[in-house]
Amino acid sequence: MREAHPGLPDFDYVRPASLEEASRFLAENPQTARPFMGGTDTFVRLRDGFWKETRYLVDVKNLDGRAEITFDPQNGLTVGAAVSMNQVVADPRIRSHYPLLAQAAHRVASYQLRTRATLVGNLCNASPAGDTLGACLLFGGILRVHGVEGYRDQPLGSFFQGPGRTALKPGDIVTSIRFPLPVPGSVGHYEKLGRNVLSDLAIVGVTVLGHPDSSAASGYRFHLALASVGPVPVVLSDLLTQAPLTPEALDEAAERAMEGCHPIDDVRGSARYRKLMVRNLSRRALALVWEGLQSGHRCE
Amino acid sequence: MDTVETTTPRPHQENAAPRPVGESVTRLDAHEKVTGEALFADDLQFGPNMLYARIKRSPHPHARILKIDASQALALPGVKTVVTGQSTPGFIGLYLKDRHIFCTDRARFVGDPVAGVAAVTEEIAERALDLIHVEYEVLPPVLDPEDGVRPDAELLHPELDSYEVANFIFPQPGTNIPNLFKIRKGDVDKALSEAAAVVHHSFRVPHVQHVPIEPHVAIAKVDERGRVTLWGSSQSPFAQRNLIASALGISQADLEVVAPYVGGGFGCKAGVSMEALAVAIAMQVRGRPVKLRLTREEEFYTTFVRQGLVAHFTMACDAEGNLTAMDNKFYWDGGAYAEYGVNMTRGAGYSSSGPYDVPNVRTDSFCVYTNHPVGGPMRGFGQPEMQCGLEQCINRLALEIGMDPMEFRRRNCVKEGSNLVTGMKMHATGIGECIEKAAEAIGWGHKDPPSAPHKRRGKGIAAMWKAPAMSPNAGSSAWIEMSEDGKCTLGLGGQEIGQGTFTVMAQMAAATLGIPYDWVRIASPVDTKYSPYEWQTVASRLTWSMGNAVVAAAKDARRQILELVARSWEETPEDLDIVNGNVISAKSGRSSSLKGLVVYGLAKPGDQGWIGGPILGRGSFMPTYVTGLDPETGQGERAVVHYTTGAQAVEVEVDLETGRVQVLRGASAFDMGKAINPDLVNVQMEGGLVQGISTALFESLQLQDGVVRNPSFVDYRIATSADAPRDMQSIIVEVPQDDGPFGARGVGEHSMVPTMPAIANAIHDALGIHPGAPPFTAEKVYLAMVDAGLVK
Amino acid sequence: MAHHKISVTVNGSVESVDVPSNMTLLTMLREKLGLTGTKNGCTAGECGACTVFLDGEPVNSCLVLAVECDGAEVRTVESLARNGQLDPIQQSVIDHNAVQCGFCTPGVLISARALLDRNPDPSEEEIRDALVGNLCRCTGYVRILDAVKDAARVGAAAGNGGSR
Repeated sequence: MREAHPGLPDFDYVRPASLEEASRFLAENPQTARPFMGGTDTFVRLRDGFWKETRYLVDVKNLDGRAEITFDPQNGLTVGAAVSMNQVVADPRIRSHYPLLAQAAHRVASYQLRTRATLVGNLCNASPAGDTLGACLLFGGILRVHGVEGYRDQPLGSFFQGPGRTALKPGDIVTSIRFPLPVPGSVGHYEKLGRNVLSDLAIVGVTVLGHPDSSAASGYRFHLALASVGPVPVVLSDLLTQAPLTPEALDEAAERAMEGCHPIDDVRGSARYRKLMVRNLSRRALALVWEGLQSGHRCE
Repeated sequence: MDTVETTTPRPHQENAAPRPVGESVTRLDAHEKVTGEALFADDLQFGPNMLYARIKRSPHPHARILKIDASQALALPGVKTVVTGQSTPGFIGLYLKDRHIFCTDRARFVGDPVAGVAAVTEEIAERALDLIHVEYEVLPPVLDPEDGVRPDAELLHPELDSYEVANFIFPQPGTNIPNLFKIRKGDVDKALSEAAAVVHHSFRVPHVQHVPIEPHVAIAKVDERGRVTLWGSSQSPFAQRNLIASALGISQADLEVVAPYVGGGFGCKAGVSMEALAVAIAMQVRGRPVKLRLTREEEFYTTFVRQGLVAHFTMACDAEGNLTAMDNKFYWDGGAYAEYGVNMTRGAGYSSSGPYDVPNVRTDSFCVYTNHPVGGPMRGFGQPEMQCGLEQCINRLALEIGMDPMEFRRRNCVKEGSNLVTGMKMHATGIGECIEKAAEAIGWGHKDPPSAPHKRRGKGIAAMWKAPAMSPNAGSSAWIEMSEDGKCTLGLGGQEIGQGTFTVMAQMAAATLGIPYDWVRIASPVDTKYSPYEWQTVASRLTWSMGNAVVAAAKDARRQILELVARSWEETPEDLDIVNGNVISAKSGRSSSLKGLVVYGLAKPGDQGWIGGPILGRGSFMPTYVTGLDPETGQGERAVVHYTTGAQAVEVEVDLETGRVQVLRGASAFDMGKAINPDLVNVQMEGGLVQGISTALFESLQLQDGVVRNPSFVDYRIATSADAPRDMQSIIVEVPQDDGPFGARGVGEHSMVPTMPAIANAIHDALGIHPGAPPFTAEKVYLAMVDAGLVK
Repeated sequence: MAHHKISVTVNGSVESVDVPSNMTLLTMLREKLGLTGTKNGCTAGECGACTVFLDGEPVNSCLVLAVECDGAEVRTVESLARNGQLDPIQQSVIDHNAVQCGFCTPGVLISARALLDRNPDPSEEEIRDALVGNLCRCTGYVRILDAVKDAARVGAAAGNGGSR
């Protein structure tokens, strides 16, 4: 039974002056020091009695240039680690070139939570219900990580290891995420099922990204990511490449998505319902994306 | 688009109410609430001497408490005291004294208070909890009310027959049944055998919680003489004074309760829930205020919850569609203590025919002890739970006999003079009009096409009734005092919990006294030391009961003023009136402002002395005509003071791909006798409809092995701004209450009573399947469609 | 536990406050500065009763540390009225009977004010979306939506976005 405290437990707030100092401090105190950015996940977990050994909360959001979004037509998009969800939703470059990312970010919680929650922080929290994990994966996101040994790249595809577990080691701080340019003509859609119409966690989340592909018999290639149906996001790549693209082909792809996931029963929903919703919502999302590809509109 | 429709008073109506009664004046508490100045209990300041309390709670649903070792906790720097049930041996309870303030020999639900700590900070108090070591002997729990009534069931209250109990509650000694309410009217078996159509269905309604946005908070201080002051978010300052004083063996005169604005109550802040804990702890640290506030998680399961219910209905009608018989068995999941919950069992029992004329009724309404959170009053007080199934059954019966469900209700609803389920004669009521108007408002009988091919639309209706459920002699009182400039202060004991009672009381006082509405001030916060007695702010009783007391007090003040001025002017009081703050004579045309005379009296001519003195009006009201009911048959002359009736109709749209139910529009029609402030009545109807939609579609406390698995907003979902339907019509029907102020009776609870069954009936209309037990979540509806072969 | 001396501008006034590391902005406002207009409904960022402006944007103050606000600008419900004049959104809430118990109201007003500052003519859908993090149990929300729409109209007529 969860016993939430009235307030936050004791800890020391630490604000390092540089990335080097931050990585070093975190690596030297692997059990007791915890980095945080927006705090919207961290504070809730601490109050709920998780991470009891935490003695130091290390604020890493104010380090160099991390609240920036940069885009260039050659290399793509870079989102600093401290960029908030609201910034992602509103940025004209993201809305123009990666609209699926803005759409997914908009479905997170509420406006006031999105002011503090960061795109990168959400990825590091690694909840399989995360709304933006699918879009980040399908856009091929690569994390820039600063550790005690300096910088390295971490592709998202191998980043998530379990609920709340990632490939990060003590001392690692993610400084940004970058996304290569999407394939020209890409269309994406995020279909989220919550208990309420808005603001809930995803009971099931389906992210679809499709694009024209002359090497595919169908002329298209679709990728799909599922939230809340496994310990990590479930990705199905290279769907619907066989000719022809018909409603039956979409049905079959949706069935494949349903068979490709193994959700559990929990207080939010049953495995049986989740699987059926994976099928229905995948069908819906694939159809919307297909329609968008045909009409040339990038749907939301 | 208008979302609101009100009925204008009929032109021939007698005694059109004086202004501002009947006007939608601005709430008098709105300004301070929008500036943030309005004070709630946690906003009160108590200085650096204040201590914080936290409670150690049982982790077991049922266990004997063998030993409590608080020595480590007491040694923690900053901890001032630890209190256990050893200090609180007295029993406490409203209708049945079956609990202690802290557990004594055993814990009966997960969350039952076992010990309390006071410390200099809330964090230290919280840390001290882990240092209190409790040894338990786990006992087998009772987790279902139908299990609880079995002869071999574990007895949760072996001393049941020794508990002090109100004379209208009937505990069954040697069982887990703290109340059994029976109705035996007519010959049910004969009527069933002769019926043209009979339906039988069982319904299970889960526990839900009130979810006030303000969690419970109480601050207590005990002085060196042992006199207590208790501040808190409370619907019942006087009941808290009474019950806590009795339990602690002190005089009610030595326990003062101060109750500022309440940030939502809905019943969970009635009676006594956590407030006595603060007092018991404060007794050990004399002179220091002790603040106890609940976390949102504790709010979900440690104070009051709405009882779960297992209900079995059998209903029958004749070939013309007249209801002939009802046979009901209710098993209420009363929880660990039934001190308040016993009366819901009774209230449902004496309303168990629904708002219908049924000549033969048999009801057994069992309140059952279980090792679940404590069942207490929640908006509707047993009616939403019971009528959820009853109104779905009515629908099934109507369809069985081939009659339109709206028509069936209109045909069978109670009318003036109907012989009710308890033998009481029904007073005049507008329920027929409510049913018709609610149905008409959503276009009953027409089906609009769905908004998309994968959606289905349906319409449903449910009627309701509810009487204020309370002691037969629940009283109200009020005083009025005047200030030098002629304005008045109104003293009352009822609480502003958002329903607008301060505003409508000011309206009634102003109208009766003859002064402008904005001349009235409310003596708030309610403080039992200075405010006049009020039984509780529950039962939708204040407009009627406290309103009567306020009108009486205003009449008393008015009489004193007119007698004084009449003497001074050498006229008769009958020729005088007070209009807009001035005394005027219809006979002589003389006029005088109220200024000065209401405090200083009037000078005699020639400076020969004075007449009059400070005007102080007083009034009280208590119903005197409620009679007892036979314990075997539930029959009696007058079971209740009155019934407020009404109906709700909703249109839903179901998404066949997800099962999600959206309420497109809803119409509420209620007969509250007289709308003192029509727009405040409208917002009660809107708010109740949305709270009803929320409980119908989202809410349940997911209990497993006695543990609530979803005690937080993350997994106990309530309606948000995105879930409220745009189209909500509120229809006021006014059939006057014979003993209500300006003809008024209450309506606060009623708007969430018919919502669950109206939605269930609409889902059935849309899909042809019954959605099962509430909440009608998307998952539940989708899987029901799959199981019925409607979708894959 | 560490303590920090911070300087934070609250409702236009620079405050020097000594705060422990684990004190939230909400607790600092209510218990150190006596600004009790902002409420605590859940301490978990779900109900929105604690919503305040932080550097011009609404946040759940129960999920912000006081120490993180060093050098920042905070505005609470107490800053909305000026010299006895209510903000249009406050007046509109009164006029539409969009307040009952009043506990959610301060948070609602901040979220609504923030919406109108960034979007002076919001659609109903946009209003619902902006307020979805403010739970209300009394009103049923529609009056609040109407109040925001009306305040937008008033703000447009007055020719200002209301933001300061």
